[in-house]
Amino acid sequence: MRDSAPLATGRRIVALWFPYWAGETTQIAYDKTQSFALIERSKNAQRLVGLTPLAAQQGLRLGLSLADARALLPDLQTAMAEPREAAARLQKCAYWLQRYTPWVGHDPPSDSEVKDYGLLLDVSGCAHLFGGERALLADMQARFLKRGITAHAAMAGTVGAAWGLVRFGATAKQAWRQIIVPEGQEGEAVLPLPPAALRLSGGHIDLCQRLGLATIGDLAGFARRELTRRFGPAPVLRLEQALGQAGESLNPCLPPPRFLVRHNLAHGVTQMQALAQLIADLCTRLAVQLQKASHGAQRLDLALTRSDNAVLALSLPLAHPCADGTHMARLFEERLSRLSRGVDAGYGIEHLSLAASRTAPIVQPQETMGAFEDSPRSQRRAAPIAALGGLYDRLVSRLGAQVVVRPVPHASYIPERAVKLVPVLTPEQGASDKQELSASLPDPATRPLFMLCAPEPIEVIAEIPEGAPYRFRWRRVRHEITAAYGPERISPEWWAGLTGDTPAHHNRQTRDYYRLEDTQGHRFWVYRDGLYERETTQPRWFMHGVFP
Amino acid sequence: METKPAAHIKTTTTSQKLAGLRRLVARFEPVVAQGPHIQTGFADIDAYFEEQVANAGLACGGLHEVVAARAGDMAAALGFAHRLAARFLDRPHTQDMLLYGQTHMACREAGQPYGPALAAHGLSADRLVYIDGARLPDLLWAGEEALLCSAIGCIVLSSWDAAPSFTASRRLSLAARAAERPLVMALGAQAGTSASAATTRWQVEALPQQGWQVRLTKLRMSHNAPPPNAGWTLYPKTMSQTLPLMERPAEISGAAQVRAG
Repeated sequence: MRDSAPLATGRRIVALWFPYWAGETTQIAYDKTQSFALIERSKNAQRLVGLTPLAAQQGLRLGLSLADARALLPDLQTAMAEPREAAARLQKCAYWLQRYTPWVGHDPPSDSEVKDYGLLLDVSGCAHLFGGERALLADMQARFLKRGITAHAAMAGTVGAAWGLVRFGATAKQAWRQIIVPEGQEGEAVLPLPPAALRLSGGHIDLCQRLGLATIGDLAGFARRELTRRFGPAPVLRLEQALGQAGESLNPCLPPPRFLVRHNLAHGVTQMQALAQLIADLCTRLAVQLQKASHGAQRLDLALTRSDNAVLALSLPLAHPCADGTHMARLFEERLSRLSRGVDAGYGIEHLSLAASRTAPIVQPQETMGAFEDSPRSQRRAAPIAALGGLYDRLVSRLGAQVVVRPVPHASYIPERAVKLVPVLTPEQGASDKQELSASLPDPATRPLFMLCAPEPIEVIAEIPEGAPYRFRWRRVRHEITAAYGPERISPEWWAGLTGDTPAHHNRQTRDYYRLEDTQGHRFWVYRDGLYERETTQPRWFMHGVFP
Repeated sequence: METKPAAHIKTTTTSQKLAGLRRLVARFEPVVAQGPHIQTGFADIDAYFEEQVANAGLACGGLHEVVAARAGDMAAALGFAHRLAARFLDRPHTQDMLLYGQTHMACREAGQPYGPALAAHGLSADRLVYIDGARLPDLLWAGEEALLCSAIGCIVLSSWDAAPSFTASRRLSLAARAAERPLVMALGAQAGTSASAATTRWQVEALPQQGWQVRLTKLRMSHNAPPPNAGWTLYPKTMSQTLPLMERPAEISGAAQVRAG
């Protein structure tokens, strides 16, 4: 037996299994005090495909033919099953479960005749938000119970182990299972289970029975190559996945975008102008959808599919919720023109889809207050702000989000950290920082109008210790200083190192700032980095800004 | 119509002839001295405009160029440009924001506008949108877009080494006139010599003791105004107080390097 160590992934997977999903969630009215079963016609016989817990207690099981069931329970209530509706309800439930984790996926499709209903959740790093893993499962199951749904749950480090345990794990005294396997112990938990817990096909399960392999442990006792020869590659892979020796991905099901328009073309389009026109049409159609729902798009995703199935995706953030088709089209036009080599259409683009992946409701501003109210102030105010949003969108789509910025005060005494340049499209934060800063700042005229992007070292040719330089060289030009004011001493923020929000290269020395003027009339803001003798013996000088 | 000016020219001296022709041309060209105007806030310059230009003041709808006289004077030129921008934004009923954009080169050489200091020049950091480095064509495009946006009250663009072509400046100038909003173009010393269609062009030189030497080298606002050649010496308080002159020890005046360790 190959004994490879389990992959330490740190993943925590929850498998949910709803043994009575179809029966418990059905919309069909029936007498709750009596047994009820859903039936389906298959292979020329009516068979039970959904039960209620009561029916299961009375000895019915899935796959039983209706004739046999009637023999056991003559007054069994039945109805035709609606597998599509049940699946749709499970999908809805999957969206609801996104309150626990964004990563909710469906069970891998099984080839068994009777459909069973289960979901998989990747809750890595989510459990502490609900007070631990046990509390998370308890909360989840209590919510299902309140709706009258039996939900078994198992948590383990691998998808395979969680899936097997939730279906075949030891039954507790309660009506539902709650199994938590600590990380790395999947092996011990899974080995006593029957081989069916490995998500094997019906044929493989039969084979295991005939060979007398009652547990996964029996199966794992064989060398892998012998298993492969006998069973084929699938069961070995499943075994390794359950034990954590092979990786397995989990595909989340995300809700489809609410606002989506598509266009299929009979022939691929290669010309940019035609493409721009098609995109403009899509924008107009999307805008109509948005306007009907009084929503505005805050983010647009455009996907262009080429005839060789390569997808070119463009996404566009918007400053304000927008439901204006021409504005959107213009932004895409600018974005496409900015692509360095244009769109590589290959043999042609055959499919376009445009989705508003993030939207917000638009409140239509009231046009007039009435005949007597003339020129309301808010209205005059609202129009320019909307116009500004349009300008931001256009600038950002051509120049880039990090280039179009606005200064936002930041509570810091270090001059270059007192202002942050944040992209205009980031939402505005509270004004608490602002007030703090304006209170702490000295006279604004003591600061230069222009600050260099980074302090530049200057070569001071003549100075006296603890004083301003007489002569220095900056950018290869010599400056003779005639007037100076200073020092203005700025100490490093000792608390910044403690909170860990300071980059490692951040200056930790006291700075003495001087305002200088040279013989030509140029005005500078320079500083000496470090105090003489206390912090350094050879302090360096830096140019930090220029006064007009 | 055609005979009248011809007869007029015959009977007058050369300078009168020229003035007559100018008036004639002005009749065909659109008069640009209409529309909102501002006072620059510098008494001498305002007096000049009062005297020379029919409706006194600097036109809001137009392209104004501010050029650094020497390589090191870019800061002074930008300072003057920002003073003008502050006056443009200070008009009654004006729209709000100032768009300030720089080319990559200007960002590196002249630095970024520093929020806390803007208040000293009559501007507010809340009303600033800043383009942190772009290619010159992109920057000019952004300027034209911003002229179309009613929420932008004034635009300042700054370029260190390259100036917009005549066509570009003409385009921006027309856009600014149509929008009745100003676009101030600050240019480095190397960039400020090219031909342009700007309404005004100012040359700024830094002077000791926090002074500026400002010259108006071009004025297209009115055809009747003579080409201005006078300069003004201004002392805007760009730093909070006058700097005390340094006492220079005798050995400093030489090339001796002093390091008392």
